Amino acid sequence: MSDSLDTYLILSGILFAIGSFGFLARRNAISMLMSIELMLNAVNLAIVAFGVFGAGPDASAQGAVFALMVMAVAAAEATVGLAIVIAIYRNKKTPLVDEYDAMRQ
Amino acid sequence: MLARLVPILLGLIVMGAVLGIAALMLLALGQDWEDALLWILAAVMLGSGLLVVTMRDIIRCGLAMIVCFLALAGIYTLMGVPLLGAAQVIVYIGAISVLILFAIMLTQTKDAPSRLVFQTQAGVAAIAAVVFAVLIALAVTATDWGAAAKRVGISTNAMSKVLFRDFVFPFEIVSVLLLAAVIGGVFLAKREPGGPS
Amino acid sequence: MTIEALLPLLLLLPLGGFLVTAFIGRRFGKSAHWIPVLAILVVWIIAMVAVANVLTGAAPLLPGSEDTHGYVAGPWAWIPAGDLHIDFGLVVDPLTACLLIVVTTIGLLVHVYSIGYMSHDPGYWRFFAYLNLFMFSMLLLVLADNWLVVFVAWELVGLSSYLLIGFWYRKRSAQLAAKKAFIVNRVGDLGFVLGIAAIVVNTAAAGHPTLNVRESIELLLAQGEANPIPLVVVALLVFAGAMGKSAQFPLHVWLPDAMEGPTPVSALIHAATMVNAGVYLIARANPLFASTPSAMVVVAAIGIFTAILAASIAMTQTDIKRVLAYSTLSQLGYMFAALGVGAFTAAIFHLMTHGFFKGLLFLGSGSVIHAVHEEQDMRRMGGLSRKIPITYATMFVGSIAIAGIPPFAGFFSKDEILGEAFKASFYWVWGVGLFVALLTAFYMFRLMGLTFWGSFRGPAAIWDKIHESPRVMTVPLILLAIPSALLGLAIGLPLGSSVLHGWLEPVFHHATELLALPHESYELFGVDGALILASVTVAVAGLVAAWRLFGVDLGRFRAPARPEDVRELSARPGLSFLYRASLNKWWFDDLNHLLFIVIGGRIAAAMWWFDREVVDGTVNAIGRQTVVAGRGLGRVQTGHVQNYALGIALGLIVIAGSYLILTGGPR
Repeated sequence: MSDSLDTYLILSGILFAIGSFGFLARRNAISMLMSIELMLNAVNLAIVAFGVFGAGPDASAQGAVFALMVMAVAAAEATVGLAIVIAIYRNKKTPLVDEYDAMRQ
Repeated sequence: MLARLVPILLGLIVMGAVLGIAALMLLALGQDWEDALLWILAAVMLGSGLLVVTMRDIIRCGLAMIVCFLALAGIYTLMGVPLLGAAQVIVYIGAISVLILFAIMLTQTKDAPSRLVFQTQAGVAAIAAVVFAVLIALAVTATDWGAAAKRVGISTNAMSKVLFRDFVFPFEIVSVLLLAAVIGGVFLAKREPGGPS
Repeated sequence: MTIEALLPLLLLLPLGGFLVTAFIGRRFGKSAHWIPVLAILVVWIIAMVAVANVLTGAAPLLPGSEDTHGYVAGPWAWIPAGDLHIDFGLVVDPLTACLLIVVTTIGLLVHVYSIGYMSHDPGYWRFFAYLNLFMFSMLLLVLADNWLVVFVAWELVGLSSYLLIGFWYRKRSAQLAAKKAFIVNRVGDLGFVLGIAAIVVNTAAAGHPTLNVRESIELLLAQGEANPIPLVVVALLVFAGAMGKSAQFPLHVWLPDAMEGPTPVSALIHAATMVNAGVYLIARANPLFASTPSAMVVVAAIGIFTAILAASIAMTQTDIKRVLAYSTLSQLGYMFAALGVGAFTAAIFHLMTHGFFKGLLFLGSGSVIHAVHEEQDMRRMGGLSRKIPITYATMFVGSIAIAGIPPFAGFFSKDEILGEAFKASFYWVWGVGLFVALLTAFYMFRLMGLTFWGSFRGPAAIWDKIHESPRVMTVPLILLAIPSALLGLAIGLPLGSSVLHGWLEPVFHHATELLALPHESYELFGVDGALILASVTVAVAGLVAAWRLFGVDLGRFRAPARPEDVRELSARPGLSFLYRASLNKWWFDDLNHLLFIVIGGRIAAAMWWFDREVVDGTVNAIGRQTVVAGRGLGRVQTGHVQNYALGIALGLIVIAGSYLILTGGPR
């Protein structure tokens, strides 16, 4: 089982699905951000799996390095995202996204 | 009472089932220990992932997320990329999760748990997620990857070579990105002078 | 200065008079009549010179003809548009010459008369401008040699008629009458236009499309049966136009209402000139009609039917101008009957004599109306012979002329019509015509009796103020009375092959050949004499009947009016229906009202409902649907990011799923 690429990819897919459900279904903005982190991790797993099982001498290293970059970017994105949520919270006094309706006509 | 138990029950069922299979594999069928370990770690990861998206109390969601990351780090190590597992723990659990927990504490309202957890579109989203997972599973299994068997793993040496030789430019850019994120985050979350507390 | 060079002046002078008076006439005030009257005077002089030359043969021969003398002016290029090339010119042949006599003479006299009649009217300058416009149109009509120009003039004449009938435009009845005249004319004009189109189609089929009157008729006759549109159809369409303009049944309803216009207008347009345009048209196209005997029968039938219809209505009318209007209708019917039986010369003869004595009668009635201070109802007149002698004398001459009593003009022309009808074996036309002659004499002397004899029945205050009209009005009356009396003797003799016959023979000989009418010599003591005796007897009978019922006062010969006899007669069972029918104009106006106003109005309302509800409704509904759809689709934009994200996720699933299904998965 752990020798086949399919396992890790399916795992990654299920985790991504879970993350997307959370993103679409939760009301709290922070929950949405947590779901985004889950999705990012799922993708990371897929990248590393492709790296490990890929052909070529440096494939696995390249996969891992790419995953490292993704992690750094995810950190940056989480920072900015949470800063935005905090800023909005200060204005709207609520972390619930369905009460942010300034974009509505 | 019941609503609070449902997500925990879900997570426990998943974990229990997978653990059971793992135990079966290991003890009764005499399979490889790597496979069993993978089952266990996968169960923990998916179970805690479900808890993250379904639990009512948001701090508990954050904690479940930490457990998920931990399990994922374990999977990385199992795959033979221990550096990445370490990085996962340091970055995700050590930094991002803490950040999220801080943000939760800053944006908590007093009467948090008594209101709806899910949007009205949650049902559709659930169906969409399930369909999505099925699609990916189908696509993945239908593809002939032509991949070799798993390698033993990557040494940190090899990885650092690739990182600082082939990918040095993206590496530097990422550090600039992090700087920008730090500045941006500080600026966005700054209190207005004389503004609301 | 050749006559041909002067011909365009016949058109340009009235046109110029119209333009000048229309634009700056208001400033002339009471002198606004000088330019128009002088213009028409010069026109009359030129026309008379030309006519004299043409009718005595002093004019050159017309091109393309061996026996017809006349003048030609032009051709001028009118529409040079590539393949379509329309020229037009002016032609004065003997037929046009006869019309010119009537048109210019009566036109001039009416212009002079109007100086007196309209002197108190604030629209004095407008009246003369319109009169000149009318003269231009009428002259263009009789002078043109091109069907299209004739049609243009046709319409212009209709326009002038509209303007003049509705001259007192503030009066509602005048507005309505003008509209009625124009619209009914239009119905006839439709037929005329179709007829012209048919002529073009037929001549094009011969390989030489032309609108020239003479050439096109020759081509049509040469082709004969090979015409794509049968000649009968063409003839009837042209007759339809004539019916509208000359007020034949069923398009006769506008002429009585046209009496709303000032009396000089009635005299000029609706007695002497415009209504003769239809007769002129058929006379001009005489070969076409002569080659289609069935069309001729239709013409004769409608003509004589109109004659008796109108005469029956004239018997009971109380408005003096209405009686004369119906009389005009009746006499026009005679003219068409004459055309229909093939007596073209007789029709033109009657046209000329009728123009003079009807013009005289109308102008005289205008003088009467003027005298009794704008009262037109004959029941409030009477005994005016003592007060307005000149008017009375001239109208008496006119009445005798129209009644057909020899030796005045009407006798000659009417007798010739009836004689030709009898000899062409149209016995029913002869019989009806004879009866109409009786009615004519009756109603004319009824008019004389009610107006001039007996005692005055109007308000006493008016009686003292009645006075004769000024000389500018009575001189035209006298001048018209002369030809009414003598024209018959002048051109109607010798009987059987009159002077007029000689003049018009070149124009009509083709038709006469086609009709193959019997050429018997005139038997004064045979058939013809018997016919003369019949018509004279009938006329005298009518006259005597009128004198018995309505009185007479000729110096020593006098008899009182018997109104109680009239009432008793009109109340008798068989006659009372006729009386009421006559009084109500045989209910034709009511029929038209029902058909077109009521039923047509309902249909129009239904159409409007359809347009409003269905057509507009559909368009509006489509618009509304767009708005509703937009609003509905706008609900997708909730403003919530998660909804949009769900949309993205669903889209992604659909795309990926369909890709997987359609390509059967990657392999």
